[in-house]
Amino acid sequence: MTSLRISLRTKLALISLLLLALPWVGYRYVDEMERFLRDGQRDALVATARAVATALHERPQLFGPRPGGTAVSLADSMLPNEEVLDLAISSMPALPAEAAPFGLPAVTAPTRGGADEVAAILRALERTTSRIWVVGRDLDVIARAGTLVPPDEADTAPDGGLLRLWRRLTGRAGAAPADIAALLADATPPSAQAVSSAFFGATASWVRPVGDGEVVVVAAAHPVWVADRVHGAVVVEESTRAILSVRDRALARLMLLTFTGFAITAVLLLGFASRLSWRIRRLRDEAENAVDARGRIADLSAGSRAGDEVGDLSRSFSRLLARLAQHHGYLETMASRLSHELRTPVAVVRSSLENLQLEPLPDSATPYIERANAGLTRLTRILSRMSEATRMEQALASTETERFDLRAVVGECVQGYRLAHPGTCFEAQLPDYPVWVRGAPDLAAQMLDKLVDNAVDFAAADTPIRIALVFHDTTAELSVSNDGPPLPAALEGKLFDSMVSGRQRDGGDEPHLGLGLYVARLIAGFHGGSLRAANLPDGRGVCVCAALRLA
Amino acid sequence: MGRRIAIVEDEAAIRANYADAFTRQGYEVAAYADRPSALAAFARRLPELAIIDIGLGDEPEGGFTLCAELRAMSARLPIIFLTARDSDFDVVSGLRLGADDYLTKDISLPHLLARVAALFRRLEVLAGAAPQEEQLVRGPLALDIQRLAAHWRDQPVALTLTEFWMVHTLARHPGHVKSREQLMTEARLVVDDGTITSHIKRIRKKFAAVDAAFDGIESVYGAGYRWKA
Repeated sequence: MTSLRISLRTKLALISLLLLALPWVGYRYVDEMERFLRDGQRDALVATARAVATALHERPQLFGPRPGGTAVSLADSMLPNEEVLDLAISSMPALPAEAAPFGLPAVTAPTRGGADEVAAILRALERTTSRIWVVGRDLDVIARAGTLVPPDEADTAPDGGLLRLWRRLTGRAGAAPADIAALLADATPPSAQAVSSAFFGATASWVRPVGDGEVVVVAAAHPVWVADRVHGAVVVEESTRAILSVRDRALARLMLLTFTGFAITAVLLLGFASRLSWRIRRLRDEAENAVDARGRIADLSAGSRAGDEVGDLSRSFSRLLARLAQHHGYLETMASRLSHELRTPVAVVRSSLENLQLEPLPDSATPYIERANAGLTRLTRILSRMSEATRMEQALASTETERFDLRAVVGECVQGYRLAHPGTCFEAQLPDYPVWVRGAPDLAAQMLDKLVDNAVDFAAADTPIRIALVFHDTTAELSVSNDGPPLPAALEGKLFDSMVSGRQRDGGDEPHLGLGLYVARLIAGFHGGSLRAANLPDGRGVCVCAALRLA
Repeated sequence: MGRRIAIVEDEAAIRANYADAFTRQGYEVAAYADRPSALAAFARRLPELAIIDIGLGDEPEGGFTLCAELRAMSARLPIIFLTARDSDFDVVSGLRLGADDYLTKDISLPHLLARVAALFRRLEVLAGAAPQEEQLVRGPLALDIQRLAAHWRDQPVALTLTEFWMVHTLARHPGHVKSREQLMTEARLVVDDGTITSHIKRIRKKFAAVDAAFDGIESVYGAGYRWKA
């Protein structure tokens, strides 16, 4: 199964994408803020309208008909849009105000100064960013003050690059500020529809889009009362440009901050994840290499002093390996310890048996004594074999190396084998020149002994044992091959370990503990080489090969 | 009146068995289980030969200590280590402390008795009680079978009993290859090949200490060793 492999780093990078929610939250916040500001602005406009209207209440002279105006105006109607019969059409002379129908309160003679007075009042209230209209009942503009575009702002505040980027990103390209300023400068009188509720006596506020709708104009209207009659309305308008620009700036800053924060956090997270996964990978590699091919166990060093979980992991790995090494060491020395421990009880049995032999015994007891002695001898031999490997390790530690001719040693050994195993044929294939290696000739001979003993034991009857010494670049290869059964697959790679034997049959008098090839491996290692065993290519038998470093 | 042998051994069964065997041979045996009791007895009266185990009770190296103390009391007293420990290190340590022989508990009683008898014989010869006889001379090598003493170019070579017998085996028939098994039998040892190798190595070193050019013992790889004719 090949499951999708996602590294720790990738996972942390994916999780860090959640940070992108922060700008959205910020955007929502700015949005709320904007709405809040607009509400505040609207309330402020209503208050302004009320304040202006308060200054104009109960001053009917301000709303008198203008000179040259019709005697009957819409202002005379009770209700907005009420049809008023224009008496002037009947070319009657202008009626004095006192003659107004329906017993309306007397209106002082309209003076030209009414509009001026209103304008004067308005001037006192003039603000830079709002426009105040005072309209009469018939929607005639009595006075106007202020402008929506502050004169110094019309062409100021060129947008920053970020703001432009933000606009582009959000698709709110909108009109250029100059266009908007132009639109705002366009003083369209408030429409009747908008002001109508003020004429009914209620305070109203509304929003009027300008251009494509990004910038709006907020307006509020308040009726102006004269006695119990609405004589006009005050309309205060203000654009949301200020709020919008504050919002845009806030958004730009927000964007800058979050992207900076995001970049910093992402870099830090990536660095952290990289370091973490590097440490874990290093730990993994070390743990994998802690046990080498020969079963030796090394110590871990990765993060062993770190205080976090990786350090914990490394420490528990170390403890585990230490325990494993302890166990391994125990197993390796078990043979020699066992032989050591068994030696005393064996000595008890032996000395007792020998004492017994010296006692007068019936003849019938003799065979039993002999059998016991034979068994004891065998047991003793096993015990001494068991400690052989340990003793060899000790001997290797104290042996000094010398440079010697391996060919001569092998040659002599083969002569010796021909004497020692008269029933077996030995074929030697040696080079014509000396083969110098560094080590101990005694030990090299002992190694060859072990290999040959092994080959003789496994060789099929009447087949030769071939001993070959050949060069390979920097190594001399000494191989011993014999015809016979191939290596069991189960022993692959373990043949040279302690206490591993491929022998099936009963060893007879000679105990086989699987230490022979182990000792041979120790000696090969001492000579800076290695041992390997392989089946012959044609499957006829087995070849054990020792590669020794040339000196 | 037999000779007095002291056995210091913490294993009761072995102690009793050895004591019985030696008693049967006519020796007078004193057996001790630990170092303090043995030392107290030795202080009163020295035995004529001591057989010591290395691990004594709760003293893993008690035998070494005892050997050193005993050697301090008498330079001539034969001391034999009889122990289960067979590492090279222990053998060398034991012999350095002045022991005359180092045997492992694999040895059979008759072999042990033979060694003890040989040591007593050497003692007698040294005391001048017995006439000098049976010399084996091979060129510069002279082996005194009675004294169990070896000389190389008239200089004494301090061999242990085991080493002496190995040299004797090799030198008796110069030029003949003696296999490790043969050497083992002659030296009355049951050990593995590696031990024989290290014994030979030690013998060579001892001769080389007397004569740096010594090359009397030749290795015949794959077969064994021989004395150079």
